[in-house]
Amino acid sequence: MRKVGIVGIGHGKFGVRSDASLRELVFEAVKACLDDSRITLKEVDSMVTGVAGDEFSFGIQPSAQVHDYIGFHPKPNFRVEAACATGSAALRTGWANIASGLADVVLVVGVEKMTEVPTSTATEIMGRAGDATWEYPFGTTFPGYYAMIANAHMAEYGTTEEQLARVAVKNHYYGSLNPYAQMQKEITLEKAVTSFTVAYPLKLYDCSLITDGAAAILLASEEKAKAISKKPVWVAGLGCGTDAMRLGDRKSLTSLQATREAARAAYKMAGVGPSDIDVATVHDCFTIAEVVAYEDLGFCEKGEGGKLIEAKETYVEGRIPVNVDGGLKSKGHPLGATGVSMAVEITKQLRGEAGPRQVKDPEVGLTHNVGGSGQVSFIHIFRRQ
Amino acid sequence: MEFKNFSLFISQTKVNRFADDLAGGKIMSTLCKKCGKQYYPPQADCSACMASDMEWKEIKAEGKLLTFTKIHVPPEHFAVRQPLMPFSSLQFEPCPVGIIEAGKGLPVMGWIPKMDVKKIKVGMKMKASPFTLPDGKITIVLEPV
Repeated sequence: MRKVGIVGIGHGKFGVRSDASLRELVFEAVKACLDDSRITLKEVDSMVTGVAGDEFSFGIQPSAQVHDYIGFHPKPNFRVEAACATGSAALRTGWANIASGLADVVLVVGVEKMTEVPTSTATEIMGRAGDATWEYPFGTTFPGYYAMIANAHMAEYGTTEEQLARVAVKNHYYGSLNPYAQMQKEITLEKAVTSFTVAYPLKLYDCSLITDGAAAILLASEEKAKAISKKPVWVAGLGCGTDAMRLGDRKSLTSLQATREAARAAYKMAGVGPSDIDVATVHDCFTIAEVVAYEDLGFCEKGEGGKLIEAKETYVEGRIPVNVDGGLKSKGHPLGATGVSMAVEITKQLRGEAGPRQVKDPEVGLTHNVGGSGQVSFIHIFRRQ
Repeated sequence: MEFKNFSLFISQTKVNRFADDLAGGKIMSTLCKKCGKQYYPPQADCSACMASDMEWKEIKAEGKLLTFTKIHVPPEHFAVRQPLMPFSSLQFEPCPVGIIEAGKGLPVMGWIPKMDVKKIKVGMKMKASPFTLPDGKITIVLEPV
Protein backbone atom coordinates (compact mmCIF):
# COMPACT_ATOMS: atom_id res chain seq x y z
CA MET A 1 0.00 0.00 0.00
CA ARG A 2 1.22 3.47 -0.84
CA LYS A 3 1.51 6.18 1.80
CA VAL A 4 -1.16 8.91 1.59
CA GLY A 5 -0.95 12.50 2.81
CA ILE A 6 -3.33 15.43 3.20
CA VAL A 7 -2.04 18.36 1.12
CA GLY A 8 -5.02 20.70 1.19
CA ILE A 9 -7.98 21.58 3.41
CA GLY A 10 -11.05 23.72 2.83
CA HIS A 11 -13.99 24.49 5.11
CA GLY A 12 -17.11 26.52 4.39
CA LYS A 13 -19.12 28.35 7.02
CA PHE A 14 -21.46 25.91 8.81
CA GLY A 15 -24.93 27.05 9.81
CA VAL A 16 -28.41 27.74 8.52
CA ARG A 17 -27.16 28.67 5.07
CA SER A 18 -30.41 29.82 3.49
CA ASP A 19 -28.21 31.81 1.10
CA ALA A 20 -26.71 28.74 -0.64
CA SER A 21 -27.62 25.46 -2.33
CA LEU A 22 -25.78 22.14 -1.97
CA ARG A 23 -23.54 22.71 -4.99
CA GLU A 24 -22.78 26.28 -3.96
CA LEU A 25 -21.74 25.14 -0.48
CA VAL A 26 -19.35 22.63 -2.07
CA PHE A 27 -17.83 25.34 -4.28
CA GLU A 28 -16.83 27.36 -1.20
CA ALA A 29 -15.05 24.39 0.39
CA VAL A 30 -13.35 23.22 -2.81
CA LYS A 31 -12.15 26.75 -3.65
CA ALA A 32 -10.66 27.08 -0.15
CA CYS A 33 -9.06 23.62 -0.45
CA LEU A 34 -7.43 24.43 -3.81
CA ASP A 35 -6.21 27.79 -2.49
CA ASP A 36 -4.69 26.01 0.51
CA SER A 37 -2.89 23.42 -1.62
CA ARG A 38 -2.00 25.92 -4.38
CA ILE A 39 -2.93 23.52 -7.18
CA THR A 40 -5.78 23.51 -9.68
CA LEU A 41 -8.39 20.86 -10.48
CA LYS A 42 -6.36 20.02 -13.60
CA GLU A 43 -3.85 18.30 -11.32
CA VAL A 44 -6.52 16.26 -9.49
CA ASP A 45 -7.04 12.71 -10.81
CA SER A 46 -10.36 11.81 -9.23
CA MET A 47 -12.91 12.83 -6.66
CA VAL A 48 -15.18 11.26 -4.04
CA THR A 49 -18.34 13.00 -2.81
CA GLY A 50 -19.96 12.26 0.56
CA VAL A 51 -23.66 13.10 0.85
CA ALA A 52 -25.85 11.27 3.39
CA GLY A 53 -29.45 11.92 2.40
CA ASP A 54 -31.25 11.84 -0.95
CA GLU A 55 -34.16 13.37 0.88
CA PHE A 56 -32.03 16.35 1.86
CA SER A 57 -30.45 16.75 -1.57
CA PHE A 58 -33.70 16.45 -3.57
CA GLY A 59 -32.07 14.16 -6.07
CA ILE A 60 -30.65 10.68 -6.26
CA GLN A 61 -27.27 11.69 -7.67
CA PRO A 62 -26.05 14.67 -5.66
CA SER A 63 -22.45 13.89 -6.61
CA ALA A 64 -23.29 14.87 -10.21
CA GLN A 65 -24.57 18.27 -9.06
CA VAL A 66 -21.20 18.71 -7.40
CA HIS A 67 -18.81 17.70 -10.19
CA ASP A 68 -20.91 19.60 -12.70
CA TYR A 69 -20.84 22.83 -10.68
CA ILE A 70 -17.09 22.79 -10.04
CA GLY A 71 -16.39 21.65 -13.64
CA PHE A 72 -14.63 18.39 -12.78
CA HIS A 73 -16.09 16.18 -15.52
CA PRO A 74 -15.12 13.93 -17.32
CA LYS A 75 -12.83 12.68 -14.51
CA PRO A 76 -14.07 10.07 -11.97
CA ASN A 77 -16.49 11.11 -9.22
CA PHE A 78 -19.16 9.19 -7.35
CA ARG A 79 -21.05 9.39 -4.09
CA VAL A 80 -20.47 7.35 -0.93
CA GLU A 81 -22.90 7.13 1.97
CA ALA A 82 -22.65 5.96 5.59
CA ALA A 83 -25.32 8.09 7.32
CA CYS A 84 -23.65 10.54 9.75
CA ALA A 85 -20.23 8.98 9.03
CA THR A 86 -20.50 9.65 5.28
CA GLY A 87 -17.60 12.13 5.28
CA SER A 88 -15.23 9.59 6.82
CA ALA A 89 -16.41 6.91 4.39
CA ALA A 90 -15.52 9.35 1.59
CA LEU A 91 -12.07 9.92 3.08
CA ARG A 92 -11.48 6.17 3.41
CA THR A 93 -12.54 5.69 -0.24
CA GLY A 94 -10.25 8.49 -1.38
CA TRP A 95 -7.38 7.00 0.61
CA ALA A 96 -7.95 3.59 -1.00
CA ASN A 97 -7.89 5.14 -4.48
CA ILE A 98 -4.37 6.42 -3.82
CA ALA A 99 -3.03 3.55 -1.70
CA SER A 100 -4.02 1.11 -4.45
CA GLY A 101 -2.35 3.15 -7.18
CA LEU A 102 -5.60 3.96 -8.97
CA ALA A 103 -4.95 7.69 -8.56
CA ASP A 104 -2.22 10.00 -7.29
CA VAL A 105 -4.26 13.04 -6.24
CA VAL A 106 -7.87 12.78 -5.00
CA LEU A 107 -10.30 15.47 -3.89
CA VAL A 108 -12.62 14.35 -1.06
CA VAL A 109 -15.75 16.43 -0.57
CA GLY A 110 -18.39 16.15 2.15
CA VAL A 111 -21.61 18.16 2.10
CA GLU A 112 -25.16 18.27 3.43
CA LYS A 113 -27.90 20.80 2.86
CA MET A 114 -30.33 20.06 5.69
CA THR A 115 -32.39 23.18 6.31
CA GLU A 116 -34.25 23.22 2.99
CA VAL A 117 -36.74 20.88 4.73
CA PRO A 118 -38.61 21.75 7.99
CA THR A 119 -37.07 20.54 11.28
CA SER A 120 -39.80 17.92 11.78
CA THR A 121 -39.02 16.44 8.33
CA ALA A 122 -35.29 16.43 9.08
CA THR A 123 -36.05 14.67 12.38
CA GLU A 124 -38.07 12.05 10.53
CA ILE A 125 -35.42 11.46 7.85
CA MET A 126 -32.75 10.96 10.52
CA GLY A 127 -35.03 8.84 12.72
CA ARG A 128 -35.35 6.39 9.84
CA ALA A 129 -31.55 5.92 9.85
CA GLY A 130 -32.30 3.51 12.71
CA ASP A 131 -34.28 0.40 11.77
CA ALA A 132 -37.14 1.91 9.76
CA THR A 133 -39.13 -1.34 9.94
CA TRP A 134 -38.74 -2.44 13.55
CA GLU A 135 -37.76 0.67 15.56
CA TYR A 136 -39.31 3.64 13.78
CA PRO A 137 -42.92 2.43 14.32
CA PHE A 138 -42.32 3.30 17.98
CA GLY A 139 -41.74 6.95 17.11
CA THR A 140 -37.98 6.75 17.52
CA THR A 141 -35.78 9.68 16.60
CA PHE A 142 -32.04 10.17 16.60
CA PRO A 143 -32.09 11.87 20.00
CA GLY A 144 -34.31 8.95 21.08
CA TYR A 145 -31.68 6.31 20.27
CA TYR A 146 -28.93 8.18 22.11
CA ALA A 147 -31.31 8.92 24.99
CA MET A 148 -31.71 5.15 25.38
CA ILE A 149 -27.91 4.80 25.42
CA ALA A 150 -27.77 7.60 28.02
CA ASN A 151 -30.35 5.97 30.31
CA ALA A 152 -28.48 2.66 30.14
CA HIS A 153 -25.14 4.40 30.86
CA MET A 154 -26.58 6.37 33.76
CA ALA A 155 -28.14 3.23 35.25
CA GLU A 156 -24.95 1.19 34.95
CA TYR A 157 -22.25 3.74 35.80
CA GLY A 158 -24.01 6.55 37.63
CA THR A 159 -23.24 9.08 34.88
CA THR A 160 -25.19 12.28 35.59
CA GLU A 161 -27.15 14.77 33.49
CA GLU A 162 -24.78 17.44 34.80
CA GLN A 163 -21.74 15.55 33.49
CA LEU A 164 -23.40 15.34 30.07
CA ALA A 165 -24.13 19.07 30.17
CA ARG A 166 -20.43 19.74 30.86
CA VAL A 167 -19.63 18.28 27.44
CA ALA A 168 -21.98 20.85 25.89
CA VAL A 169 -20.39 23.68 27.92
CA LYS A 170 -16.92 22.68 26.68
CA ASN A 171 -17.92 22.29 23.05
CA HIS A 172 -19.83 25.57 22.99
CA TYR A 173 -16.79 27.31 24.49
CA TYR A 174 -14.57 26.05 21.66
CA GLY A 175 -17.29 26.68 19.08
CA SER A 176 -17.24 30.32 20.19
CA LEU A 177 -13.59 30.40 19.08
CA ASN A 178 -14.19 28.73 15.69
CA PRO A 179 -15.22 31.15 12.92
CA TYR A 180 -16.72 28.27 10.88
CA ALA A 181 -19.00 27.09 13.71
CA GLN A 182 -22.79 27.35 13.51
CA MET A 183 -23.26 28.51 17.12
CA GLN A 184 -20.44 30.77 18.14
CA LYS A 185 -21.65 31.34 21.66
CA GLU A 186 -20.79 30.07 25.10
CA ILE A 187 -23.43 28.51 27.35
CA THR A 188 -23.55 28.08 31.13
CA LEU A 189 -23.98 24.77 32.92
CA GLU A 190 -27.26 26.05 34.35
CA LYS A 191 -28.62 26.94 30.93
CA ALA A 192 -27.70 23.48 29.62
CA VAL A 193 -29.29 21.50 32.46
CA THR A 194 -32.48 23.57 32.48
CA SER A 195 -33.10 23.53 28.73
CA PHE A 196 -36.19 21.67 27.49
CA THR A 197 -36.22 17.90 27.11
CA VAL A 198 -35.86 16.59 23.56
CA ALA A 199 -35.75 12.87 24.46
CA TYR A 200 -35.49 12.06 28.15
CA PRO A 201 -32.87 12.53 29.63
CA LEU A 202 -31.35 14.49 26.73
CA LYS A 203 -32.14 18.18 26.61
CA LEU A 204 -31.78 20.83 23.93
CA TYR A 205 -28.14 21.52 24.74
CA ASP A 206 -27.28 17.81 24.73
CA CYS A 207 -28.09 17.68 21.01
CA SER A 208 -26.07 18.63 17.95
CA LEU A 209 -27.49 20.93 15.34
CA ILE A 210 -29.25 20.67 11.99
CA THR A 211 -26.74 22.26 9.67
CA ASP A 212 -25.88 23.21 6.11
CA GLY A 213 -22.22 22.98 5.25
CA ALA A 214 -19.37 21.53 3.23
CA ALA A 215 -15.73 20.63 3.75
CA ALA A 216 -13.03 19.36 1.39
CA ILE A 217 -9.59 17.79 1.64
CA LEU A 218 -7.02 16.99 -0.97
CA LEU A 219 -5.19 13.67 -0.65
CA ALA A 220 -2.00 12.72 -2.48
CA SER A 221 0.47 9.88 -2.82
CA GLU A 222 3.78 10.31 -0.93
CA GLU A 223 5.70 11.52 -3.97
CA LYS A 224 2.99 13.99 -5.05
CA ALA A 225 2.34 15.08 -1.46
CA LYS A 226 5.98 16.11 -0.99
CA ALA A 227 5.88 18.00 -4.29
CA ILE A 228 2.63 19.83 -3.49
CA SER A 229 3.02 20.60 0.21
CA LYS A 230 5.82 21.67 2.55
CA LYS A 231 4.07 20.03 5.50
CA PRO A 232 1.74 17.23 4.48
CA VAL A 233 -0.17 15.46 7.25
CA TRP A 234 0.01 11.69 6.82
CA VAL A 235 -2.84 9.21 7.13
CA ALA A 236 -1.27 6.70 9.55
CA GLY A 237 -4.16 4.40 10.39
CA LEU A 238 -7.72 3.66 9.33
CA GLY A 239 -10.35 1.57 11.08
CA CYS A 240 -13.95 0.74 10.33
CA GLY A 241 -16.32 -1.37 12.43
CA THR A 242 -20.01 -2.25 12.39
CA ASP A 243 -22.71 -3.41 14.79
CA ALA A 244 -26.31 -4.62 14.83
CA MET A 245 -28.98 -2.46 13.20
CA ARG A 246 -31.16 -2.23 16.28
CA LEU A 247 -30.07 -1.03 19.73
CA GLY A 248 -31.78 -3.97 21.42
CA ASP A 249 -29.65 -6.49 19.50
CA ARG A 250 -26.35 -4.98 20.64
CA LYS A 251 -24.07 -6.80 23.11
CA SER A 252 -23.78 -3.54 25.03
CA LEU A 253 -26.03 -0.52 25.31
CA THR A 254 -23.36 1.54 27.06
CA SER A 255 -20.64 1.16 24.43
CA LEU A 256 -20.48 1.22 20.62
CA GLN A 257 -18.98 -2.06 19.43
CA ALA A 258 -18.49 -0.53 15.97
CA THR A 259 -16.21 2.11 17.51
CA ARG A 260 -14.27 -0.44 19.57
CA GLU A 261 -13.63 -2.50 16.45
CA ALA A 262 -12.67 0.54 14.36
CA ALA A 263 -10.32 1.74 17.12
CA ARG A 264 -8.63 -1.64 17.37
CA ALA A 265 -7.93 -1.66 13.63
CA ALA A 266 -6.82 1.98 13.42
CA TYR A 267 -4.50 1.84 16.45
CA LYS A 268 -2.94 -1.37 15.11
CA MET A 269 -2.36 0.03 11.64
CA ALA A 270 -0.85 3.26 12.99
CA GLY A 271 1.19 1.42 15.60
CA VAL A 272 -0.06 3.66 18.39
CA GLY A 273 -2.33 3.41 21.44
CA PRO A 274 -4.83 5.77 23.08
CA SER A 275 -2.13 7.46 25.18
CA ASP A 276 -0.25 8.49 22.01
CA ILE A 277 -3.16 10.61 20.75
CA ASP A 278 -2.46 14.33 21.25
CA VAL A 279 -5.77 15.70 19.94
CA ALA A 280 -9.04 14.12 18.82
CA THR A 281 -12.35 14.99 17.21
CA VAL A 282 -15.06 12.53 18.26
CA HIS A 283 -18.65 12.04 17.17
CA ASP A 284 -20.59 14.15 19.69
CA CYS A 285 -23.95 14.08 17.92
CA PHE A 286 -25.21 14.04 21.51
CA THR A 287 -23.27 14.74 24.71
CA ILE A 288 -23.63 11.10 25.81
CA ALA A 289 -21.99 10.05 22.52
CA GLU A 290 -18.84 12.01 23.43
CA VAL A 291 -18.75 10.41 26.90
CA VAL A 292 -19.14 6.92 25.41
CA ALA A 293 -16.47 7.74 22.79
CA TYR A 294 -13.93 8.66 25.54
CA GLU A 295 -14.40 5.13 26.87
CA ASP A 296 -14.56 3.24 23.58
CA LEU A 297 -11.42 4.99 22.27
CA GLY A 298 -9.53 4.13 25.46
CA PHE A 299 -9.07 7.72 26.68
CA CYS A 300 -10.40 6.51 30.06
CA GLU A 301 -11.72 3.33 31.66
CA LYS A 302 -15.22 2.06 30.88
CA GLY A 303 -17.76 4.02 32.93
CA GLU A 304 -15.30 6.86 33.72
CA GLY A 305 -16.28 9.13 30.81
CA GLY A 306 -18.43 11.39 32.98
CA LYS A 307 -15.52 11.92 35.37
CA LEU A 308 -13.11 12.69 32.51
CA ILE A 309 -15.16 15.70 31.39
CA GLU A 310 -15.84 16.73 34.99
CA ALA A 311 -12.04 16.92 35.53
CA LYS A 312 -11.78 19.02 32.32
CA GLU A 313 -9.23 16.54 30.92
CA THR A 314 -10.66 16.97 27.41
CA TYR A 315 -10.04 20.74 27.27
CA VAL A 316 -7.01 22.10 25.30
CA GLU A 317 -4.94 22.14 28.50
CA GLY A 318 -6.12 18.67 29.59
CA ARG A 319 -4.68 15.20 29.21
CA ILE A 320 -6.49 14.49 25.91
CA PRO A 321 -8.11 17.49 24.16
CA VAL A 322 -11.34 16.45 22.41
CA ASN A 323 -13.53 18.46 20.03
CA VAL A 324 -11.71 21.73 20.56
CA ASP A 325 -13.26 22.90 17.27
CA GLY A 326 -16.71 22.94 18.92
CA GLY A 327 -17.65 19.44 17.82
CA LEU A 328 -20.90 18.50 16.13
CA LYS A 329 -22.49 20.11 19.17
CA SER A 330 -21.70 23.72 18.35
CA LYS A 331 -19.77 23.65 15.06
CA GLY A 332 -22.81 21.89 13.58
CA HIS A 333 -23.44 18.50 11.97
CA PRO A 334 -24.08 18.61 8.21
CA LEU A 335 -24.14 14.80 7.95
CA GLY A 336 -22.02 14.26 4.83
CA ALA A 337 -19.57 17.05 5.69
CA THR A 338 -18.87 16.12 9.31
CA GLY A 339 -16.19 13.44 8.77
CA VAL A 340 -14.30 15.64 6.30
CA SER A 341 -14.60 18.63 8.65
CA MET A 342 -13.07 16.50 11.43
CA ALA A 343 -10.06 15.72 9.19
CA VAL A 344 -9.75 19.44 8.35
CA GLU A 345 -9.58 20.29 12.06
CA ILE A 346 -7.00 17.62 12.90
CA THR A 347 -4.87 18.75 9.93
CA LYS A 348 -5.03 22.35 11.20
CA GLN A 349 -4.02 21.18 14.68
CA LEU A 350 -1.10 19.09 13.39
CA ARG A 351 0.07 21.99 11.22
CA GLY A 352 -0.16 24.32 14.22
CA GLU A 353 -2.75 26.54 12.52
CA ALA A 354 -5.67 26.27 14.97
CA GLY A 355 -5.23 29.74 16.48
CA PRO A 356 -6.76 30.24 19.94
CA ARG A 357 -7.84 26.58 19.97
CA GLN A 358 -4.35 25.23 19.24
CA VAL A 359 -3.23 22.21 21.27
CA LYS A 360 0.45 22.44 22.24
CA ASP A 361 2.68 20.83 19.61
CA PRO A 362 0.57 17.77 18.69
CA GLU A 363 2.13 14.97 16.62
CA VAL A 364 -0.70 12.42 16.41
CA GLY A 365 -4.39 13.21 15.92
CA LEU A 366 -7.53 11.06 15.67
CA THR A 367 -10.96 11.46 14.10
CA HIS A 368 -13.95 9.33 15.18
CA ASN A 369 -17.14 9.41 13.13
CA VAL A 370 -20.24 7.28 13.79
CA GLY A 371 -23.02 6.40 11.37
CA GLY A 372 -26.58 6.10 12.61
CA SER A 373 -27.02 4.98 16.20
CA GLY A 374 -23.71 3.06 16.00
CA GLN A 375 -24.27 0.71 13.05
CA VAL A 376 -20.94 1.83 11.55
CA SER A 377 -17.93 3.71 12.86
CA PHE A 378 -14.80 5.10 11.18
CA ILE A 379 -11.58 6.09 12.90
CA HIS A 380 -8.64 7.77 11.19
CA ILE A 381 -5.27 8.48 12.76
CA PHE A 382 -3.08 11.24 11.35
CA ARG A 383 0.60 12.05 11.89
CA ARG A 384 2.59 15.22 11.39
CA GLN A 385 5.79 13.49 10.26
CA MET B 1 -53.47 -7.91 7.19
CA GLU B 2 -51.02 -5.54 5.57
CA PHE B 3 -47.62 -5.54 7.29
CA LYS B 4 -47.71 -1.76 6.91
CA ASN B 5 -50.28 -1.66 9.71
CA PHE B 6 -47.35 -2.42 11.99
CA SER B 7 -44.30 -1.10 10.12
CA LEU B 8 -45.85 2.13 8.77
CA PHE B 9 -43.64 2.16 5.65
CA ILE B 10 -43.14 -1.26 4.10
CA SER B 11 -45.76 -3.82 3.15
CA GLN B 12 -43.75 -6.40 1.24
CA THR B 13 -41.79 -8.88 3.35
CA LYS B 14 -41.48 -12.62 3.88
CA VAL B 15 -42.45 -12.17 7.55
CA ASN B 16 -45.79 -10.55 6.74
CA ARG B 17 -47.49 -13.09 9.04
CA PHE B 18 -46.02 -11.25 12.05
CA ALA B 19 -48.67 -8.53 11.63
CA ASP B 20 -51.54 -11.05 11.42
CA ASP B 21 -50.38 -12.80 14.57
CA LEU B 22 -49.90 -9.50 16.37
CA ALA B 23 -53.49 -8.56 15.48
CA GLY B 24 -54.49 -11.98 16.80
CA GLY B 25 -52.84 -11.27 20.15
CA LYS B 26 -49.51 -13.06 19.75
CA ILE B 27 -45.94 -11.74 19.53
CA MET B 28 -44.17 -14.18 17.26
CA SER B 29 -40.53 -14.98 16.61
CA THR B 30 -38.96 -17.28 14.03
CA LEU B 31 -36.81 -20.29 14.80
CA CYS B 32 -34.27 -21.82 12.42
CA LYS B 33 -35.18 -25.47 11.90
CA LYS B 34 -31.56 -26.31 11.04
CA CYS B 35 -29.53 -24.67 13.82
CA GLY B 36 -32.19 -23.62 16.31
CA LYS B 37 -31.37 -19.91 16.41
CA GLN B 38 -34.37 -17.82 17.40
CA TYR B 39 -35.10 -14.37 15.96
CA TYR B 40 -37.05 -11.45 17.30
CA PRO B 41 -37.82 -9.38 15.33
CA PRO B 42 -38.55 -12.40 13.11
CA GLN B 43 -36.26 -13.09 10.14
CA ALA B 44 -37.14 -15.26 7.15
CA ASP B 45 -33.50 -16.27 6.84
CA CYS B 46 -30.95 -17.48 9.37
CA SER B 47 -27.73 -15.43 9.53
CA ALA B 48 -26.11 -18.07 11.77
CA CYS B 49 -26.25 -20.99 9.28
CA MET B 50 -27.55 -19.29 6.10
CA ALA B 51 -30.59 -21.59 5.94
CA SER B 52 -34.06 -20.27 5.10
CA ASP B 53 -36.20 -22.98 6.66
CA MET B 54 -37.83 -21.29 9.62
CA GLU B 55 -40.76 -22.04 11.89
CA TRP B 56 -42.90 -19.57 13.83
CA LYS B 57 -42.88 -19.59 17.61
CA GLU B 58 -44.73 -17.38 20.07
CA ILE B 59 -42.44 -15.68 22.57
CA LYS B 60 -43.08 -15.31 26.28
CA ALA B 61 -42.72 -11.57 26.13
CA GLU B 62 -41.61 -10.85 29.65
CA GLY B 63 -38.26 -9.66 30.94
CA LYS B 64 -36.06 -6.91 32.28
CA LEU B 65 -36.20 -3.41 30.83
CA LEU B 66 -32.90 -2.85 29.00
CA THR B 67 -33.43 0.88 28.44
CA PHE B 68 -36.09 3.49 27.69
CA THR B 69 -36.72 7.11 26.74
CA LYS B 70 -39.54 9.55 26.18
CA ILE B 71 -39.34 11.45 22.91
CA HIS B 72 -40.66 14.99 23.30
CA VAL B 73 -39.76 16.14 19.80
CA PRO B 74 -41.41 13.56 17.54
CA PRO B 75 -40.65 12.90 13.89
CA GLU B 76 -43.14 14.37 11.40
CA HIS B 77 -45.00 11.06 11.03
CA PHE B 78 -45.86 11.14 14.74
CA ALA B 79 -46.34 14.88 15.12
CA VAL B 80 -49.50 15.72 17.00
CA ARG B 81 -51.57 16.52 13.95
CA GLN B 82 -52.52 13.50 11.84
CA PRO B 83 -52.09 10.69 12.59
CA LEU B 84 -51.98 11.21 16.33
CA MET B 85 -49.00 9.91 18.21
CA PRO B 86 -50.14 6.65 19.81
CA PHE B 87 -51.09 7.02 23.48
CA SER B 88 -50.55 10.78 23.58
CA SER B 89 -53.02 12.39 25.94
CA LEU B 90 -55.25 15.38 25.18
CA GLN B 91 -52.42 17.57 26.44
CA PHE B 92 -50.27 16.03 23.70
CA GLU B 93 -48.05 14.46 26.32
CA PRO B 94 -45.85 11.99 24.43
CA CYS B 95 -45.57 8.36 25.47
CA PRO B 96 -42.36 6.71 26.75
CA VAL B 97 -40.85 3.78 24.83
CA GLY B 98 -38.54 1.02 25.97
CA ILE B 99 -36.88 -2.30 25.13
CA ILE B 100 -37.24 -5.44 27.24
CA GLU B 101 -35.13 -8.57 27.01
CA ALA B 102 -37.70 -11.35 26.55
CA GLY B 103 -35.10 -14.10 26.76
CA LYS B 104 -31.53 -14.06 25.48
CA GLY B 105 -31.21 -12.25 22.17
CA LEU B 106 -34.92 -11.44 22.01
CA PRO B 107 -35.28 -7.68 22.54
CA VAL B 108 -38.86 -6.45 22.32
CA MET B 109 -39.53 -2.76 21.77
CA GLY B 110 -42.78 -1.19 22.86
CA TRP B 111 -44.63 1.90 24.04
CA ILE B 112 -44.97 2.34 27.82
CA PRO B 113 -48.33 4.18 27.98
CA LYS B 114 -49.14 3.79 31.64
CA MET B 115 -46.03 5.12 33.33
CA ASP B 116 -44.48 8.43 34.31
CA VAL B 117 -40.99 8.45 32.73
CA LYS B 118 -39.39 9.43 36.06
CA LYS B 119 -40.69 6.21 37.59
CA ILE B 120 -39.33 3.95 34.86
CA LYS B 121 -36.08 2.21 35.87
CA VAL B 122 -33.64 0.16 33.84
CA GLY B 123 -33.87 -3.46 35.06
CA MET B 124 -37.53 -3.40 36.11
CA LYS B 125 -39.55 -6.43 35.03
CA MET B 126 -42.09 -5.75 32.31
CA LYS B 127 -44.28 -7.64 29.89
CA ALA B 128 -45.06 -6.90 26.26
CA SER B 129 -48.51 -7.23 24.67
CA PRO B 130 -49.97 -6.53 21.23
CA PHE B 131 -52.22 -3.47 21.06
CA THR B 132 -54.65 -2.29 18.39
CA LEU B 133 -54.81 1.48 18.06
CA PRO B 134 -58.05 3.37 17.33
CA ASP B 135 -56.97 3.91 13.71
CA GLY B 136 -56.62 0.14 13.15
CA LYS B 137 -52.83 0.09 13.29
CA ILE B 138 -51.24 -2.54 15.49
CA THR B 139 -48.36 -2.05 17.86
CA ILE B 140 -46.80 -3.35 21.09
CA VAL B 141 -47.09 -1.99 24.63
CA LEU B 142 -44.98 -2.66 27.72
CA GLU B 143 -46.21 -2.64 31.30
CA PRO B 144 -44.67 -3.55 34.64
CA VAL B 145 -45.45 -6.96 36.14
